[in-house]
Amino acid sequence: MIAGLAIKSLRNRRFTAGLTVLSIALAVLLLLGVERLRHESRESFAATVSGTDLVVGARSSPVHLLLSVVFHIGNASNNLRWETYRAFAARPEVAWTIPLSLGDSHRGYRVLGTSTDYFEHLRFGRDRRLRFAQGHAPESGHDAVLGADVAQALHYRTGQSVVIAHGAGDVSFSLHEQHPFKISGVLERTGTPVDRTVHVSLQGLDAVHEDADADAADPLAAALRDGQTDAAGEPRAITAFLMGLKSRSTALGMQRRVNEYTAEPLTAVLPGVALQEIWEITGAVEKTLSAVSMLVVAVGLAGMLVALLTSLSERRREMAVLRSVGARPSQIFALILGEAAVLTLLGIALGVIALYAGLILGRPWLESRLGLFIMVGWPSAYEVALMAMVALAGVLIGLVPAWRIYRHSLADGMSIRI
Amino acid sequence: MSPVIDLSNVRFTWPGAVSATIDIESLRVGQGERVFLRGPSGSGKSTLLSLLAGVLTPDSGEVRVLGMDVGSLGGAARDRFRADHIGFIFQMFNLIPYLSVVENVCLPCGFSASRRARAEQSGGTVEKEAIRLLAHLDMAEDSLLRRRVTELSVGQQQRVAAARALIGSPELLIADEPTSSLDADRRSAFLDLLFRECALTGTTLIFVSHDASLEPLFDLGISFAGINRAPQAIAHGAAA
Repeated sequence: MIAGLAIKSLRNRRFTAGLTVLSIALAVLLLLGVERLRHESRESFAATVSGTDLVVGARSSPVHLLLSVVFHIGNASNNLRWETYRAFAARPEVAWTIPLSLGDSHRGYRVLGTSTDYFEHLRFGRDRRLRFAQGHAPESGHDAVLGADVAQALHYRTGQSVVIAHGAGDVSFSLHEQHPFKISGVLERTGTPVDRTVHVSLQGLDAVHEDADADAADPLAAALRDGQTDAAGEPRAITAFLMGLKSRSTALGMQRRVNEYTAEPLTAVLPGVALQEIWEITGAVEKTLSAVSMLVVAVGLAGMLVALLTSLSERRREMAVLRSVGARPSQIFALILGEAAVLTLLGIALGVIALYAGLILGRPWLESRLGLFIMVGWPSAYEVALMAMVALAGVLIGLVPAWRIYRHSLADGMSIRI
Repeated sequence: MSPVIDLSNVRFTWPGAVSATIDIESLRVGQGERVFLRGPSGSGKSTLLSLLAGVLTPDSGEVRVLGMDVGSLGGAARDRFRADHIGFIFQMFNLIPYLSVVENVCLPCGFSASRRARAEQSGGTVEKEAIRLLAHLDMAEDSLLRRRVTELSVGQQQRVAAARALIGSPELLIADEPTSSLDADRRSAFLDLLFRECALTGTTLIFVSHDASLEPLFDLGISFAGINRAPQAIAHGAAA
C-alpha cells in the first residue's frame, strides 16, 4: 500500500525525481568507477609479471628494480655478470630464465636485449603467452621484434630496418647507424609494457655496441664496455633476468640465495611483494580520489534531501488527506522514507548500469591508451559494500524529511492549512 | 439505540493556548441523522471534527463514537477506528494528485480491511464498487475516469471525494465545508447525491458549514456557538 503510493508519488514528480536519481547515479558511477580503475590498474600491473617468480638484478631497491626492469620506468643502475646469470639459470629448482639488457632506445621506445626464451616463457595476465601478429621470433642477431604499440605508432611492418640509439631519450646523439636491425615480427597486443618495447637479441645488441666502440669518436659507447661480448660470443653482462621456478614454494629460498650471493651484490624481487610496496606509495592518491568520490556521493544525497524537503510543504495537504482515510503517522513516515529509498536505489542501479556501459564502451580506449586491461565482471564484494553504504546513507538521509513530515502530520492531524 | 456520537464534558486546549478551544457539555447524534453544524470559520469546528476522528484526544471528558470512547484508544487503534468507521470530505483539495480517480476512491480500503470487505461485498471488487459509487454521483464516464484528478473541476473533485468517503459504507460521514467552493446549483446537486447515498447505507452525516442557507435541508441544525462554551474570540486566535 505505502510502497505503491511512494512509487506513484515519485512518478507524478518524475522530473525532479529523475534529476535526483541522475545526480545519485553520477555520484555512484564516480565512486565505483574510481574503485574499479584502481582495482583494474593494480590487476593490470600484477598481470604484467603474473608468470614471473623472481626478478633478479644488481643490488638496488626492490621497487626500483621492478619498475625499471619490468615496467621500464627509470633506469637500472648497474649490470650483473653473465656468469652469475648462468650460475642461477643452471640451478635445479629453476624452470626457466629470461635475460634482459636495457639501456638503448628506438625513437623513444625502449630497446630490450633478450634471448628467444623471452618469447617462449614470458607469461602475462592469466597465463597468456606472447603471440605474433606478424612474422616470427628473431632467428639471427640482426632481427628485431616489435611490440604492438611500437609497430602501430611508427607504422612499421616486418622486413623493414630499424636503427637503435644509446640512451632512453627520444632524441639521442649516438645512433648506432652502422648496425641496423631487420624487423622479423610484430607481437599481438598484451596490455603490458611489452607493447611499447623493441626486442632484439643480446648478441645483436652487443654487436651494435662493439661497432660503436670501434668508433673512437663516440665517447658514450665507452661506457658500455661492460656489455660487450666475450670471446665465446656471449655477453659479459646483462641488466637483469626474470626467473620462473618449478615450484613457487621455493621462491623465498631462492630470493635469499640470490640476496646472499657472495660473488657480486644482487637483489631478487618477488614481484607481488614489490608491487605491494608500490601500492603503499600510491595509496595516498587513491585515498584522496576515493574521498573526493565519496564527497560527490554526499552531494548527490544532499540534493535528494533538498528535493524531498522542498516538496514537503506542498505535500502537507496530501498527508492530511491520507491521515483522514486512516493512514497512521508511522505510515506517513514510511511513505517519505520509502520515496528516499526508491530514489537512492534507482540512482545506484542507474549508476551501475552506466558504469558497465562505460567499461564496455571504454574498454578499447583504456587498453590502447593506458594499457589497462579491464575485466568486465560482476561487482566485487567491496563494490557491493560501497553500494550498500550509499543505499544506507540514502535511507538515513530520508529519515530527516520523514521525521519532519511525521511531526507535521501529528501536529496538523487532518486540518489543512494552506 | 446508542447514539453514533455522544460527547460529554469535553474540553480541549491547543498546546500553548491560554484558554480552551472546545468546551462542550453534551452533544448527541443518532444513527442515520443528517446534522448541520453551523459556525463561523476559525471557531473551533475543525478541532471538534479532529476530536471526533480521534486525531486529537480531549484533555478531559469523553468522546464516544459508535459507543467507543475514542480518547481511550491508543494512537494506532484510533487511526484504525477512523479508517474503519469514518469517511471524510474536506472543503477542497481532497484528492491525492498522483492517484487516478478510481485509485483515490479506493484509498480507504487500503487502510481498512473491514471497509474493503464491505466494498467487495457490495460491488464484487473494490474497483467495481468505486465505479458504482462514482456512477451514482454521475462521475462514471470513461473520459472522466481517465482524467488526472487535478484536471477535474472542483465539483467533480468533490464528488470523487464523496465517493471515497462513502466506499465501504462507514457508519459516520464527516463533511467539512464540502460545498463552499461550489456555486449554488452545483451545491444543491451535490447535497442531493450525498443525501441519497447516506440514506441508502444508513450513514450518519455531520455536515459542517458557515452557510446557514443550507440548514433547512438537514434533520437537525446545531449552532456551534450554542454548544461550545469556550470563549470564541480567544479560541479563534488559539486555533489559527
